[in-house]
Amino acid sequence: MSKQTYVGKNIPKLDAREKATGQAIYAADLQLPGMLYGKIVRCWDHAHARVLKLDLAEAARVPGVIKVLGPQDVTRKTYNTGVLDLMVPGEIGQLLGDVEDQHIFTEHVRHQGDAICGIIAESEEIAELAAEKVKVLYEPLPVYLSAEESAKPDAFQFDERKPGNRAFQLPEAMFPDNSYGWGDVDVEMAKADLIVEETFYVPKVKQCQMEAHAYVAHYDQTGRLNCWTSTQMPKCVQPKLARLFELSISRVNLVSTTIGGGFGARLGMVFEPETCAMAMAVPGRPVKVQSSREEDWVASESRHPGKYKIKLGVKKDGTPVALDAHFTSNAGAYFTHASGTAFTTGSWLSGMYKIGALRYKGDTYYTNQAPSGAFRGYGNPQTNFALEQIVDQVCKKLKIDPVEWRKKWHKGEGDDGWCIGVPYSSCALDECLDRGAEAIGWKEKRAKYANQSGTKRRGIGVGVMNHTSGAMPMLLEHTTCTIKMNEDMSVVITLSCSDLGQGSHTVLKQIAADSLGISMDEIHILVNMDAAGFDIGSHASRTTYVGGGAVLKACEDVKRQLIERAAIRLEIPEGELKIKDQQVLSRKNPEKRLSVKEICHTGVYNFTDPQTGKTNGVPGQIQGYASHFPSHNSPPFGACFAEVEVDTETGEVQVLELVIAHDIGRAINPMAVEGQLEGGAHQALGMTLTEETCYDEAGLCRNNSFTDYKLFGPVDMPKITCILVEQPDPIAPLGMKSVGEAGPVNPVGATANAISHALGIMFTAAPITPEKILRAING
Amino acid sequence: MSSRILPQFALLTPQSISEAVDMLAQYQGQVSVLAGGTDLLVWNYIRKVKPTYVLRLSALDDLDYMNYIPGEGLRIGARAKVAQLLEQPEVAGKFPALYESALTFATPQIRNMATVMGNVLRASPAGDCSCAILALGGQVVLQGPDGQRLVDIDDFWISYGVTARKNDELAVELRIPEPTSITRSAFYRLTRVHEDLAKLNVAVRFEMCQNGCRSARISMGCVGPTPLRLKQTEKLLEGVPVTDELLQQVAAAARKEIAPIADQRSTEEYRRQVSGVILTRVIERAAGTHRIAI
Ligand SMILES: Cc1cc2nc3c(=O)[nH]c(=O)nc-3n(C[C@H](O)[C@H](O)[C@H](O)COP(=O)(O)OP(=O)(O)OC[C@H]3O[C@@H](n4cnc5c(N)ncnc54)[C@H](O)[C@@H]3O)c2cc1C
Repeated sequence: MSKQTYVGKNIPKLDAREKATGQAIYAADLQLPGMLYGKIVRCWDHAHARVLKLDLAEAARVPGVIKVLGPQDVTRKTYNTGVLDLMVPGEIGQLLGDVEDQHIFTEHVRHQGDAICGIIAESEEIAELAAEKVKVLYEPLPVYLSAEESAKPDAFQFDERKPGNRAFQLPEAMFPDNSYGWGDVDVEMAKADLIVEETFYVPKVKQCQMEAHAYVAHYDQTGRLNCWTSTQMPKCVQPKLARLFELSISRVNLVSTTIGGGFGARLGMVFEPETCAMAMAVPGRPVKVQSSREEDWVASESRHPGKYKIKLGVKKDGTPVALDAHFTSNAGAYFTHASGTAFTTGSWLSGMYKIGALRYKGDTYYTNQAPSGAFRGYGNPQTNFALEQIVDQVCKKLKIDPVEWRKKWHKGEGDDGWCIGVPYSSCALDECLDRGAEAIGWKEKRAKYANQSGTKRRGIGVGVMNHTSGAMPMLLEHTTCTIKMNEDMSVVITLSCSDLGQGSHTVLKQIAADSLGISMDEIHILVNMDAAGFDIGSHASRTTYVGGGAVLKACEDVKRQLIERAAIRLEIPEGELKIKDQQVLSRKNPEKRLSVKEICHTGVYNFTDPQTGKTNGVPGQIQGYASHFPSHNSPPFGACFAEVEVDTETGEVQVLELVIAHDIGRAINPMAVEGQLEGGAHQALGMTLTEETCYDEAGLCRNNSFTDYKLFGPVDMPKITCILVEQPDPIAPLGMKSVGEAGPVNPVGATANAISHALGIMFTAAPITPEKILRAING
Repeated sequence: MSSRILPQFALLTPQSISEAVDMLAQYQGQVSVLAGGTDLLVWNYIRKVKPTYVLRLSALDDLDYMNYIPGEGLRIGARAKVAQLLEQPEVAGKFPALYESALTFATPQIRNMATVMGNVLRASPAGDCSCAILALGGQVVLQGPDGQRLVDIDDFWISYGVTARKNDELAVELRIPEPTSITRSAFYRLTRVHEDLAKLNVAVRFEMCQNGCRSARISMGCVGPTPLRLKQTEKLLEGVPVTDELLQQVAAAARKEIAPIADQRSTEEYRRQVSGVILTRVIERAAGTHRIAI
């Protein structure tokens, strides 16, 4: 049963055909009998205001409007769309200062697009027409768009629990001096021969998942709240909705619909609270709420922008003696992930290099931008932009080859990991650096591009990164899985891990098929929140690693039961039996065997012979189960190399090539791994070169759609070579490590470094646009 | 802001050009002509225009043509698509600026829908075909109740979004004059990513002779309310050899002649700075003396 037929193979994503042909059913496609349409009425004209008067009378009179709901007509309970409350113990959450500060409909607009009321109508058109008739009297409040502005002593205070508008800083009680790291940075820094210090700016970038947020909710006659959503975290959203609407978890039926991309945009709740509140107001009738791209943009979360101060001290020979860093991020209007991102941004920093002493401070301030939250990489791309560039500055000043420096100073197996106190279980970064450098022609090009004078100048840069596979031990890591053996030996796997499009269900099936020794075609994955047990969702690069671990354990449980039954039937001790080619057989006498199919079949169709009173097998349908808590986070490393050409007269950057070498441990599906690296590179290039959500002085978003928020298109993408370095991790199931979140990380540093190699100018603010480049060149 | 509410209008489908003109005359000023719809049917646009009637050209297949007539030039029917510029055999060779404007235009899907005429009639300062046509010179043929009249492209755009077309006129054809054997032209645009509207576009046309160029035409987009002819700058090019010094003067003159603004796509400073750079490169490419590949 353990021959590897699928693991390690390029298996096309099982849902690819369905999606490419338009057959996949998204929440927006759902049509239910008697369905109504909800419209979340948002404040579009102010980024910060108090609602003095809300007049819904005229809207209510629009024919076809069923109900209008103001802030008082729905639960007044507050919530936090994030899920940290479920992932850390309550005491820790309290220490971190996590707060629930969001309302379904608010009377205090904290960002453009904040929801002020809701309309339920017979059609979307009617709901929209009625929304235009809502009359609101606003009292404008001062607008703050950066941490510097909102931190000013006389600034308007967003939340009395958060003086100075500081949503978060590393709490003194857990992190003395509000910082973490090791050694005495001040003492060590004083010993440095060279100190390089810079303040970087990282932009507010959006996940840009293809499917704009859409939901259906139905508070049915049995008193169950049904919610169709493409959340990345069904098993977290379910209890959060239960708590918000004061229902037991079994009364919340969360239905996972096809997910049109996640990238963190569907981490925790998004517009489920508003949709469910509307459904609760019209029991018995389903309500659909769809958001336009613009709404999705201004009201759902993005990556945390902010200022990243970093100071690196080294000896003459490059020995890094001290690193001092401070990331001040812009939380936007609500708390959401204020603590999580501020904390982890430093983890990737402390997890990278063997530095004598390190101090990281992370804090977050409220502003009137749309809330920041989770985005693939969770703080890591921000760190990469700052750290990888500062390292290259040091290398430049000391004339050290950046690849050599990284090889010498990166952390590896046995070193303290990104989570201080948890050592790295393995590290293949040297091989990544060597093979990547070889593939792009690092040495030759680095030398060749060192002295250029023409209009178009080329540069080559490197960026490394560390990440994690699941967030153990920082967060709860738990996935359950049930494997039911049908009587014909086909299999149903029940779990609640989402497939965001990364192909996780394909990979989980590959793992199960090999473990059980059956065809992938005979396996069905059932994602059903009533049937499935707990799981913390598809995030933190965990689904293959932790979900796969759960599937493997449940398969083991199935196999244990098969052997147990065969032992009874064959009258052979369990220890003597093994499973091979769908047979349970004796190691000593392979003639003694029973087929797996027969065991499964007779377990279900278990007949008693009336004459003898004997049964034809061991009764009971076989179901394997696992409630899996991984023991580690088998961190992946990676090295990315970028080659660019910069036009010194126009400032335009063309990315010519990326080579991405990734420490995958073991690639379950190499094609899917490459897909993750390439897709991640796409997001990284956008953050580095073109993408940023911009606001005008009044805090109104200037580019809330793809017209003016520019992602790289197919023609803009460079040639990408992916190198999968497979050195199995000793702890990981099957030796595998993660890739999803790693994707958008180190192409950021590599590309920025390539630009600075081409021009001899380092750019501290992303995105590095032609406008910024030309200004820098022209002094 | 997108919306679920479809705009309300009556759809007119004339069966002939004269019927179309009759309808335009009947509903003066309340009609929007629908060609490929890649501008008109974009939410922001149609909700601003709020036409009572939309007159579609879908029955007028006799306007699909793109003909090259030796000795006369290129005739582009009102329904000819941008994609046809890439397919019509003579365009690349004889009207390189126009060809190049189509080459980088949007995406294949948009090029298959968008008409060249729609680009001109939209009167946007960012229109790529418009920029090329302004440099190549030409005329817009307008058909009204009293027959046809020809408006020179130099006089066609009045201000942002406004043209010389009268409410009761249908634009039926674009005419671009026959180049001589020494005519050269080129086009280039700068964008944020490949699929985007221009932050700056430039086209030139001139006659190459031994001691320089004659009758130069320079057009630049996104540096004023409509595509601009840079007439002062053109003068510098006339009859003198194209040298580095001349190109520097040309670049400096162009920077003075334009009036860019800052918007989502770029800054005023940047546009001014690169206008000269791109112009000189386009001139060099048209002249066949370029050193920098663009
Ligand atoms: C995704 C996208 C990308 C784009 N990229 C580019 C680009 O790269 N470069 C660029 O220049 N443009 C671009 N555009 C804009 C647009 O595609 C062009 O302007 C196109 O040429 C318009 O042609 P159309 O046939 O679609 O015009 P329509 O939208 O049908 O019409 C445009 C305007 O012209 C009027 N009109 C059209 N035909 C006539 C006629 N015969 N008589 C009178 N009035 C008429 C219409 O009433 C309307 O006001 C893009 C648009 C989109 C949606």
